[in-house]
Amino acid sequence: MASVRLKTLCAEIDAKIHVQGDMSHEASKAAVGDLLSFVMGSDAEGAAWITVQTHLNVAAVAVLKDIPIIIIASGREPADDLAERCGIEGITLVSSALSVFDICVRLGRLGLRG
Amino acid sequence: MADPIHLEYEVAADDYQTAGTASNSVKETLKMLGIPTAISRRAAIITYEAEMNLVIHGGGGKIVANIDEKQVELMTIDEGPGIPNVDKAVQEGFTTAGDRAREMGFGAGMGLPNIKRNADIFEIFTEVGKGTTLRTVINLQ
Repeated sequence: MASVRLKTLCAEIDAKIHVQGDMSHEASKAAVGDLLSFVMGSDAEGAAWITVQTHLNVAAVAVLKDIPIIIIASGREPADDLAERCGIEGITLVSSALSVFDICVRLGRLGLRG
Repeated sequence: MADPIHLEYEVAADDYQTAGTASNSVKETLKMLGIPTAISRRAAIITYEAEMNLVIHGGGGKIVANIDEKQVELMTIDEGPGIPNVDKAVQEGFTTAGDRAREMGFGAGMGLPNIKRNADIFEIFTEVGKGTTLRTVINLQ
């Protein structure tokens, strides 16, 4: 399965970077979900997580699932406290004007799978 | 592991801001003890869902973790409204969460099922009007 560097991934989806973690890190797959318990219960470890949720608890789930990058879709902007927590935890936090579907299409082109 | 480890966390009602603190701490503690990642993740998921249950449903409460060589025991204790029908509460998709919780991506009826799935022992002691104690155990051996 392909892994993609966060830097490459961000360029592919025209991401606006809110918090820059270690951009040489890689995402091993991608996951989509706005229900936090769904993401918690899925095998999203190491995934690039695409969501439209923007609040602080998103960071808590990302920490617990060892998610290296959170992608907020559809032009939504992260809450300030979410960005702050991602900074503390070293999680890359970006947003994109693209829809969830379009982000998935582009990440699929990079070779990422669910 | 020389001595058993006992951890306690207070969780306040409706406090969505600090939810995740206990689960992160449990995960970090298990990591420090050299417990395999797969186990610490299960414990973290149980603790996080338990925290959210206290925030959303339980009116706040306490999370207790007891870790020894044999097991990780995680308990959630609240003096909230209790659960009238436990069988329903552990069904995937059943929820009594309000709009705020749902808008934030909680309240999908997956909390207790997620906890049950990750636990080797799963017990609920509840009384309507008195409160709920949830006890889970993950075996280490």
